[in-house]
Amino acid sequence: MTELSYEQARAELASVVEKLEAGGATLEESLALWERGEQLADVCQRWLDGARERLDAARQARDQG
Amino acid sequence: MTEPTNGSSSPEQPWPVRVVSQKIGAWIGKLGWVWIDGQVAQINRRPGTTTVFLTLRDPSADLSLTVTTNRDVLDLGAPELAEGARVLLHAKPDFYPGRGTLSLRADEIRQVGLGELLARLEKLKKLLAAEGLFDPRRKRRPPFLPQRIGLITGRASAAERDVLTNARRRWPAVDFRVINVAVQGPGAVPQMIDALRVLDLDETVDVIVIARGGGSTEDLLPFSDEALCRAVFACRTAVVSAVGHETDTPLLDYVADVRASTPTDAAKRIVPDLAEERHLIAQVRHRLDRGVRHLVDREQHRLDALRSRPALAKPELLLDRRQEDVTALRARSSRTLEHRLTGAVSDLGHTLARLRALSPAATLERGYAIVQRADGAVLRDPAGVTGGERLRVRLAGGELTATVAGT
Repeated sequence: MTELSYEQARAELASVVEKLEAGGATLEESLALWERGEQLADVCQRWLDGARERLDAARQARDQG
Repeated sequence: MTEPTNGSSSPEQPWPVRVVSQKIGAWIGKLGWVWIDGQVAQINRRPGTTTVFLTLRDPSADLSLTVTTNRDVLDLGAPELAEGARVLLHAKPDFYPGRGTLSLRADEIRQVGLGELLARLEKLKKLLAAEGLFDPRRKRRPPFLPQRIGLITGRASAAERDVLTNARRRWPAVDFRVINVAVQGPGAVPQMIDALRVLDLDETVDVIVIARGGGSTEDLLPFSDEALCRAVFACRTAVVSAVGHETDTPLLDYVADVRASTPTDAAKRIVPDLAEERHLIAQVRHRLDRGVRHLVDREQHRLDALRSRPALAKPELLLDRRQEDVTALRARSSRTLEHRLTGAVSDLGHTLARLRALSPAATLERGYAIVQRADGAVLRDPAGVTGGERLRVRLAGGELTATVAGT
C-alpha cells in the first residue's frame, strides 16, 4: 500500500468512488470497495501531509539560515 | 699573407676578424634594397651633421632595427616625422665593420598618413573576417561568475579604476589579476600580447579584460593590430574588449568574445550584480514556494472532493439502502400477515353468525322449549311417552326436569 505514489493512489481512489456510485456491486463487494477507498484516501492524505511538512521544514531552515 | 677566404675555418686555420667582418658584410649586402613598413620608436637628429638615426620598430613585436638616413631624405618624405609615426621606407641593410653593427640605410622615407593606416585596417579587417576571426560561432562565453578576472590595462589609468571599482561594487568578492602595460605607442602591442599569454596560461583566470579609456584614432591603433587580434583569437580564455572609442571601432572589438563599450560597461558584463541576483533569487524562490503550495492545496481539494462524495463519506448509505429494502420487505410481510389474520377473523365472525343463526337459542327465546328424553332424544310426538317418565326441558333461560303426568 505505501509503495503507491500519490497519483496512483488518487487515480485508484477516483475509480473506487465511481464504482461505488455506479452501484450494482454486492454488499460485500461494496464494503470492500469502501474500505479500499478509505485506505487510498489515507495514502493520499499522508502524501500531502508529508509534502506540507517538508515545505514547512525547508522554509523554517531557510528562515533560520 | 694569404687571406683564407675560401674553404671552412678550423682551430688550425681560424678566420681573422676582418675576414668574418667582410663575409658578414657581404651576406647582409645580398638582401639589397627593400621596402619596409615600421614604426618610429626613436628619432635622433644629430646636431652639426646631416645624418639622422631612427629606431624602427615592428608595431606587433618586440623587434627593432636602426636606420640611418640623411636629413634631406627626411625633409622630402617625412618632414614632421615624430616618434610613434608609421613609416614606409626604402632601405638597404649595411654592415659597419668598424663597430660590427648593422643599420639600414634609407634613401626614401614616407610617413604613412592616418588615412592610409585606416585603409590598411579596413583591408586587415576584411582579411581577418574572411579567416573567420570574427565568427560569432567561435566566440567563447565568459562564465556567469568568474573566479578570477585578468585585467590588461594602463598603470593607474582611469580604465583600470573603472573596471575594478564597478566590478567590486557589483560583486564585492571579485578577484582580479591585473597586468599593467603600455596601452599606446610602440611597445603597447608586444606588452599586451605578453600579458594576454600570461593570463591565458593562468588556470585561475577565467575571463580576460583588455581595457583602455578613449583616445584618438592614432592612440587606439594598437588595438587594431593584427598580431594582437590573432593572439586574442588564439586565447582559450574568453576575452572582453573594453576600449572607449567614438568613431573607428578597433579590430579588437570584432575579435573579442565580448565587446564592451567602456571599461565601466566591461565591469557590468564580467560580474553579475549581487544585489540584483539576490533579489531575483528571492523572487524566484517566492514563486517556487507559491507554486508548490498551490500544487499541494489543489491536490488537497481534489482529495477532499473525492472523500466528500457520499459514496465514501457516508458508507452508511450503502447499508441504509439495504436497510430500507429489509424494512420494506418486513413491513410487507407483516402487512400481508395482518391482512390474512383480519380475513380469518372476519371469516370466523361470519361462520359464528351462521352458526348462531342455526342455533335453537333464538327459538327458545321466543318461548319454545326443547324436550328431551333421558337418552337425549328430542321428543317430537307425545306417542310413546309413558306416565311418570322424566323428561329434560330446555328453555331459553336454562333447563328443568319434568315428570309426565299423563298422556
